[in-house]
Amino acid sequence: MRVCKSPPWRVTSSSDRPSAVAGPSIDLSEDQIERYSRHILLPEVGGEGQWKLLQSKALLIGAGGLGSPAGLYLAAAGVGTIGVVDSDTVDLSNLQRQVLHCTPRLGQPKCLSAKQTMEDLNPDVHVIPYHERLTSENILGIIADYDVVLDGSDNFPTRYLVNDACVMSHKPLCHAGILRFEGQVTTIVPGEGPCYRCLYPEPPPPGLVPSCQEAGILGVTAGVVGLIQATEALKLILGIGQPLIGRLLLYGALDASFREVRVPRHADCAVCGDSPTITELIDYQEFCGLRP
Amino acid sequence: MTTTQAEMVTVRVFGALRQAIGRSEVQLPYADETVRGTLLRLAADSDAEISGFIFDKQGNVWRSLMLLVNDEPVENALQQATRPGDVICLLLPVAGG
Repeated sequence: MRVCKSPPWRVTSSSDRPSAVAGPSIDLSEDQIERYSRHILLPEVGGEGQWKLLQSKALLIGAGGLGSPAGLYLAAAGVGTIGVVDSDTVDLSNLQRQVLHCTPRLGQPKCLSAKQTMEDLNPDVHVIPYHERLTSENILGIIADYDVVLDGSDNFPTRYLVNDACVMSHKPLCHAGILRFEGQVTTIVPGEGPCYRCLYPEPPPPGLVPSCQEAGILGVTAGVVGLIQATEALKLILGIGQPLIGRLLLYGALDASFREVRVPRHADCAVCGDSPTITELIDYQEFCGLRP
Repeated sequence: MTTTQAEMVTVRVFGALRQAIGRSEVQLPYADETVRGTLLRLAADSDAEISGFIFDKQGNVWRSLMLLVNDEPVENALQQATRPGDVICLLLPVAGG
């Protein structure tokens, strides 16, 4: 049996347990062996890796442009539990890119629409919907049960809240953002590399950076970037490859460019630094950019 | 690198700045100045109103702006003297999801 040497950033699943043999005991049904055969064939995944995926729990913040492709492929991959946080309802303007949803579900809560699509795709997956907005009051309780968080939110207050909560909770975070024809992706593993505030210490003032609603987004750009985000989550769960820790990937759809910049952890970072100055979660007021 | 290229400094922009300027790169003639000086010159020379994307009303660079020199994060980048051929990268976060 292949022995996997765990890298330091390996996601620790809540179902991990010591075993007398290398790796956890694996119990895949015949259908699962067939469903995941293309994964199992990969030496880097195998039955052991597929079992890890089935036991893992991923949380999607947002079931929109990023959350849709990420959710679809995490479900297809057999991530056993997927939480979906989204307070919004399906809108016609979503359907240009938010492929978890469809025309008959206009007006439905996105988290429920997402649940239906993902569980229809893969009955091995249990989707837990959270039809609520994340705040400093509820986020720690929500993320506590998950092995990895994927931030596909659509506003800066939520992004900084998610970052801070994940750092404080030592939760790995797959971060991505999109605008027009571009995307940014990085993976944040508290204690192993920088956090979002090491990259961007403060949210920009309102109006400085437009939203997709204001500036537009090429639908497929959301697809590309959301899938990179999902890939990062799978790598963390499986303990394979080199996640984008300490690296910011910049994608440009128009020139099909992938550029990478190194982003170090800052010892004086307000959240993950040696002497944090932000020790409580902040609900940024979205329309003034100031703390309440 | 041609002589002409070596006498230039490139400012590479992404996201909202790219949209404001209308292109991904701006080349400026090299001048004996700091990175901050180059950004001030970029804002002054640009046809587009981009100063507000880089500087706040007090003239400080926004803390939400990531600044790289030759694709590397540099401590106290604003005070670093530029060199011919340098590429200064300005990144704003994107929140779309």
